[in-house]
Amino acid sequence: MIFNSLAFFVFIGIFLPLYFALKGKARLFLCLFASYFFYGWWDWRFLSLILFSTLIDYFIGLKLEETEEPSQRKRLLSTSMIVNLGFLAFFKYFNFFIDSFQEMMLSLGVEASWNTLNIILPVGISFYTFQSMSYTIDVYYRKIKIERDFVRFATFISFFPQLVAGPIVRAIDFLPQFQEDKKFEWDRFTSGLGQVLWGFFKKVAVADSLAPFVDQCFASPGGFSSLHLTIGVIFYSFQIYCDFSGYSDIAIGLARIMGFDFPDNFRTPYFSKNFSEFWTRWHISLSSWLRDYLYIPLGGNREGSFGSVFFIVLPMLLVVGLTGWWWLLLIYAVVSFISWRYMQQGEKNKRTMFNYMNLMVTMLLGGLWHGASWAFVFWGFLHGSYLVVQRLAGPIWTGMLNKMKVPNFIQNILAIAIVYFFTCLAWIYFRATDFEIANQVITGIASLEGFNFGTIINKFWVVKGFVLIGALLFVEMTDLRFHYSSVIKTNPVFRLVSFAALIWMIAFFGSFGANSFIYFQF
Amino acid sequence: MKKIYWIIGLLLFTLVGDRLGGFVLKKITNSSEFRYSRLYNNNAESDILLVGNSRGLTFYQPYIEEITKENTFNISYNGMPIDLARVLVEDYLDKYEAPRVMVLDVTMCDRTNKSLISGFNLYTPYSPRLGKLLKDSIPKVAYAGQLSHLYLHNSEVFQRTVYHLKKNDEDWLLDRQINDFMVKDVVNQNLHTLIDSTYFDKYLMVELNTIINAAKEKGVDVKLVVNPYYPPYLAKLHDLDEFVARIEKATKMKVHNYSKSITDIKGFGDYQHLNKYGSRLYMDQLKRDHIF
Repeated sequence: MIFNSLAFFVFIGIFLPLYFALKGKARLFLCLFASYFFYGWWDWRFLSLILFSTLIDYFIGLKLEETEEPSQRKRLLSTSMIVNLGFLAFFKYFNFFIDSFQEMMLSLGVEASWNTLNIILPVGISFYTFQSMSYTIDVYYRKIKIERDFVRFATFISFFPQLVAGPIVRAIDFLPQFQEDKKFEWDRFTSGLGQVLWGFFKKVAVADSLAPFVDQCFASPGGFSSLHLTIGVIFYSFQIYCDFSGYSDIAIGLARIMGFDFPDNFRTPYFSKNFSEFWTRWHISLSSWLRDYLYIPLGGNREGSFGSVFFIVLPMLLVVGLTGWWWLLLIYAVVSFISWRYMQQGEKNKRTMFNYMNLMVTMLLGGLWHGASWAFVFWGFLHGSYLVVQRLAGPIWTGMLNKMKVPNFIQNILAIAIVYFFTCLAWIYFRATDFEIANQVITGIASLEGFNFGTIINKFWVVKGFVLIGALLFVEMTDLRFHYSSVIKTNPVFRLVSFAALIWMIAFFGSFGANSFIYFQF
Repeated sequence: MKKIYWIIGLLLFTLVGDRLGGFVLKKITNSSEFRYSRLYNNNAESDILLVGNSRGLTFYQPYIEEITKENTFNISYNGMPIDLARVLVEDYLDKYEAPRVMVLDVTMCDRTNKSLISGFNLYTPYSPRLGKLLKDSIPKVAYAGQLSHLYLHNSEVFQRTVYHLKKNDEDWLLDRQINDFMVKDVVNQNLHTLIDSTYFDKYLMVELNTIINAAKEKGVDVKLVVNPYYPPYLAKLHDLDEFVARIEKATKMKVHNYSKSITDIKGFGDYQHLNKYGSRLYMDQLKRDHIF
């Protein structure tokens, strides 16, 4: 079931009154049943996967509580990881691994003809798997107490507002919130409703209005002018932002109405002044998950590990194998030698080098998390590179601007523009189905052929798109100053007018074809 | 209690704003120079009625009027399906004196297009026929349009009424030449099937015959044509000849097939559409052949 469908409005219209009418265990059962119903609406067969994942982590949690023996605890944690990541690997990456292996063999002159499987990707598997894994890892490290109530635990894993596209809410933040019965609170209801409406505006009005133009651009980029493609990429950057953050807003708003507090998942990411900041503003629940469960265990900014080296070397070799570009080995060797020499020159250099490697590994795996394609890995690689280059060149750049006495606000605007430009460059690979399409888009834009408004096909989509992006940016920029969420709480007239305005905007600009959310595929 | 008042206030304010907004948008629709606004505003009298989808826009009105010295009205729209065209033509024939001739590009009979019908929601207050077609095709959209008058105007069609508020739309035609990439890429294009096996006989041809009969009853000379395609692209239209033959059989009328009539590459904006230059060449040919 998707939020922007009639079925969901009927569902939530029945669910919410029942939710507040019931108490204790009955309410918890209702939540669990509703969550499974919500997911099963798409394909009930895949409920078995969620249930299995839930059972495994529930019982492993219990066993972890019982045993103090480190090796036994490690085995239990490994079992959870293998099962969860195994599901993910099979349903999401099996065909990708097979295809990549076959291509690699082919480049070595060996023809391997393994069949791929017709596997359906279960919606939201990457989200609930990470949520479930975080519980077991936190129990293993004794950061949280185990949850003995199975219904409560199962509801935590499958909670419908954020089940299929996040935000990923960790057990440490979420499970304690189940301890008490939530009462209907007017303030929560109104602020939650406001966020839900804002989420619908972003998704139904902005993202879905931009989608047709973007689809057209990326379907056959060769047929469009430079300006047309440039607009297509700008539109995509806002489409994916509004699509995904819109879903998060609806999820967070619904949860707030029900009495749960979820952390923000997006904070105006396109206003970031550097890439580190970008990742504290974009898909925050995933980036903080990757930081805490991947980057820091790899060694973070202090040290390296076997994983740091392994996950850098593996994709490098795979790229050589897949492309057949053996000369890359020479470049790798030179870079590795320089890095090794640099690391030999002191502990600080060693830490810096490992920090870069850990950053890159985190971003590469973060890219792969999004989808089984080399384009996603490359997207991760680009972001990893941005972070590394920023750390290397950032201080020099800032020093240069300060020396030139460039005013702060111009420095800020420049920084925002640079981050946005490179983020868009990476989005091209994220959106394109393959490298060929992505390269066509980039070369098409760089050619500067037909950089005038006359070359745009379907100008009405463009005008509508920019009007909506303008409205979005206006609200986000003024929100930084006026903090609408607090005004909404204290001023009922402003609340009434702003809610009505959002409903009007949705009615007038919305696209009601029940378009799916982009992040469902992840 | 205050909370109840707030909720009632929100609902009332939303409804009043919606109706006020809808009223303003309706005024804009009324006063626009856009072809359908003119159609329903009794401002579309013509001698030559032109019908088609985006390919029908290649009936370049200023040039036709120049060479025939007659008034034209073009009902064509991007992706227009034949059932929507039927409604608009019937409304036209009800409102105006019969035109001398109606030229219809039959390639619009290749599909149905419900989403475009929903885009014409804003004209349902002026046309019971259109309202019925919408209700039969997408009832949800029809009801939603009654519920919210802002939603009624939520379409690209409305955006065009705004664009043409003070601007004539008879010049609406591609003004570019097919680019090198498209010229090279034509071999990679997918095959395009014109005969929709599900709807062709039982729906599309029924609708086409309804238009033809309605026009003939009013004494209009009906001409069916196939507008030109970019010649190398014709290889991708593998069932064009059969499509034409089946239309001739269903309507018992001759279809004037001009699909190969323009060969000058400079005359095309893309594979399926002539540009202004190409359209002039084509209109000259139609004039020579007494289609107008």
